[in-house]
Amino acid sequence: MRIENETLFPPTNESDVVLSVRGISKTFPGVRALDHVNLDVRAGEVHCVVGENGAGKSTLMKILSGAYSKDEGAIFFKGIERSFASPKEAQEAGIAIIYQELNLIPYLSITENIYLGNELQRGSLPLLNWPKMHAGARDALTPLHLTIDPHTLVMNLGIAAQQMIEIAKALHHRADLIIMDEPTSALSLNEIEDLFTIIGELKAQGVSIVYISHHLDEIFKIGDRITVLRDGRNVGTLNVAEATSEQMIRMMVGRDLADQFPKVTAERGAEILRVEGLTRHGVLENISFSLHRGEIVGIAGLVGAGRTELVRAIFGADLIDSGRIFIDSQEVLIRAPADAIRHGMGLLTEDRKQQGLILGMSARENMTLPILRNLTSTPFTDGRKESEVAQRYIKSMAIKTPNEEQKVINLSGGTQQKVVLGKWMAITPRILIFDEPTRGIDVGAKVEIYNLMNELARQGVGILMVSSELPEILGMSDRILVIAQGRLAGELSRAEATQEKILAYATGFVEQTLQN
Amino acid sequence: MVQQTLPEVTTVAPADRLAGVRRILLNSGVWIILIVLVAIVYASAPSFRSPLSLVLIGTDAAFIGIIAAGQTMVILTGGIDLSVEAMIGFSSVVAAMLISGVTRGDAHVGGGMASWLAMLIAIGLGTVIGLLQGIIVTGLNIHPFIVTLGFLSILQGAALALTDGSPINVTSDPLIDFLSNTISIGSLKLPMPLIIMAVIYGIIWVILRHTKLGRYTYAIGGNETATRLSGINISRSKIILYGISGMLSAISGMLLMSRLSAGAYQNGTGYTLNSVAAVVIGGTALAGGIGGIWGTFAGVFVIVVVQQALVYMDVTSDGQKRIVIGIIIVLAVAFDVARRGRVPAVQWVRQAMRSVRARGRSVSS
Repeated sequence: MRIENETLFPPTNESDVVLSVRGISKTFPGVRALDHVNLDVRAGEVHCVVGENGAGKSTLMKILSGAYSKDEGAIFFKGIERSFASPKEAQEAGIAIIYQELNLIPYLSITENIYLGNELQRGSLPLLNWPKMHAGARDALTPLHLTIDPHTLVMNLGIAAQQMIEIAKALHHRADLIIMDEPTSALSLNEIEDLFTIIGELKAQGVSIVYISHHLDEIFKIGDRITVLRDGRNVGTLNVAEATSEQMIRMMVGRDLADQFPKVTAERGAEILRVEGLTRHGVLENISFSLHRGEIVGIAGLVGAGRTELVRAIFGADLIDSGRIFIDSQEVLIRAPADAIRHGMGLLTEDRKQQGLILGMSARENMTLPILRNLTSTPFTDGRKESEVAQRYIKSMAIKTPNEEQKVINLSGGTQQKVVLGKWMAITPRILIFDEPTRGIDVGAKVEIYNLMNELARQGVGILMVSSELPEILGMSDRILVIAQGRLAGELSRAEATQEKILAYATGFVEQTLQN
Repeated sequence: MVQQTLPEVTTVAPADRLAGVRRILLNSGVWIILIVLVAIVYASAPSFRSPLSLVLIGTDAAFIGIIAAGQTMVILTGGIDLSVEAMIGFSSVVAAMLISGVTRGDAHVGGGMASWLAMLIAIGLGTVIGLLQGIIVTGLNIHPFIVTLGFLSILQGAALALTDGSPINVTSDPLIDFLSNTISIGSLKLPMPLIIMAVIYGIIWVILRHTKLGRYTYAIGGNETATRLSGINISRSKIILYGISGMLSAISGMLLMSRLSAGAYQNGTGYTLNSVAAVVIGGTALAGGIGGIWGTFAGVFVIVVVQQALVYMDVTSDGQKRIVIGIIIVLAVAFDVARRGRVPAVQWVRQAMRSVRARGRSVSS
């Protein structure tokens, strides 16, 4: 059944509709985030919501969970019209939201996190009832098959377990509707399977899930229905059983995307980077490999295997204990990022907001930071030259910003990533390292980043790409290096690589003997 | 150029020429506060209206203002310099010793150096000590609060030890007179320290907005990790900034010494807190990354006008003065913050009114 752009009328009287959203609009200064959005969620269904960055997904979810207020429209939850003035009101009504970044206090225990804001006291005395709370926490963990001691501090748990704690929190508050925002971005494949099992059990109990994700394959696995948002509007709701991914992408993007991974194999040139015996005690062990001009080498492995540590060591962000690095067949000494940059190497970090951008500064200021010392020979800066550089990359990469003076904090995820890429293209790099290049970026912008990588490879840049998304690794790499527990566990060519082979190396199931 | 699968290429609007003006207007809350303050005092204290009061205010403002300029730059990187007031005392003692010598028991030691040379040496020494603090902060990775607090004590102690507690008088000479003089422009009398402060602020403005060091200062305060990963030598920038702060503190020390005709360990007492307050009132965040020098300029005058105004308005008891100053400073910043964005206090009032209305409804139903 295809529902498209319902006009405003009272909610349907289907008894299994638990949440009905009618005509929601929300405007921020200069941006219309939501435009008369309608949405229905049934009891016990997994309703997926997809859309590009800026489509309005997180704004809608924040309104539903009480973090934002709506400008127009109505929300009907369990048949009653509601207006949540705070997240606590939404929580008490039975709506829980699990944010992508998780909302737990790392230095507090599981029990304290579950009971945050709802602590149990001993009778009328203002003293906390720890035994009762710990028991309550244990009860909250049971339905999720978790036997972790509730005294455990959250920061000592892995991301997957932390996510489970968030779900336990939601169930503890008797949530009838749980909103999950990109729940799988930091999970391994096994953990994702566990999450889906839990979601299945929640469905059986009649809990509804609103599932926001960029991963269409996950939607096909667990989704019942999918709603596509674009430019703040509900473009349509489909039954997942009848939908195709081309259809979804077309609705999200408004046009056909030729290929999800537009790999163009560039001509492989001479060796541009060689790493020999790279060792950092306890983190990296005797890693050796080489990278050629025009090549995209993917670096795969489980979370914590040492991939990011490897590229940080090459870039000089961390000091190594032993090993040699050769650029263009010349041995170089890299002890700080400035050395790496001088040799034409750039690193796009996995967390652009914390490590890649200065959020309070403009696109221009961010993009010219590494090359500022070279733009002028005096201690003074030259605003005009900076503008030239910034404009050049804004145009060539189609960066969505009104001009180069826009503060990057106001830009969308994909646009921010392009600003970071512009910063590194400005140093005229010979080697570019991408760590999770498309994390938190929508489908349309991902393709743009891939095209830019292709163009850079075509121009002879050597590219290292660390990624946790196997389709991305398989789709874009010429060669794949698999890191496991700080060691190079395996190397695969594009032709021979499969998800299974990569995982076999990554989990240590198979050890490849490599010829050095 | 780059292959795109998207049909359109975004057109880029020319950079907003008014962006700078808009930023100045947004950050000008402190100037509004200053103008209102001056208006209130002007209206309620006739003795405030004489040209002499501007001279007194301007002179006081200059001593605090010059060290506040260095403080601004240091705070912009997320650091702080607590040693500034001790640097004033210490540098004045060093210069005074070189000029007039010091009496130890029955013997008179040193002296006889030309004042310009003595001042240059004192300023140079201040710069070096500032650089040293920067090296300790960056090299040993110790929080600047601790390092500069330590030097506050060291410099005070050194000044005390050198003078044995008594001030060293400095006889006036052309340079010292010049530095403590006023210049008349029409009916307006401007004290030289104020003119020097204005020149310094102009130079610092150029540094912050038009040099690489200035850009790096804002970048380090905005996101030190991202700045380091962009290849910037953060230690070098920080060391230079602490050196500048030491230099400016010593310059202020020379001006104060000229005014008081004496170098003493107590010169500058209380200036540290005022300099930090001026920076914060002026709109620079203590965490760094946001703010600027002209905000500090207004912030300095807010503090000095408040202090002086109480004198003119005859609130002579020290306790009353301090209470009023404190209240005004809190109100001023509160007003500025509330003006810029949502503050929880507004939400609290709204919630309270809503629950009062709800209770009224349930009572009447």
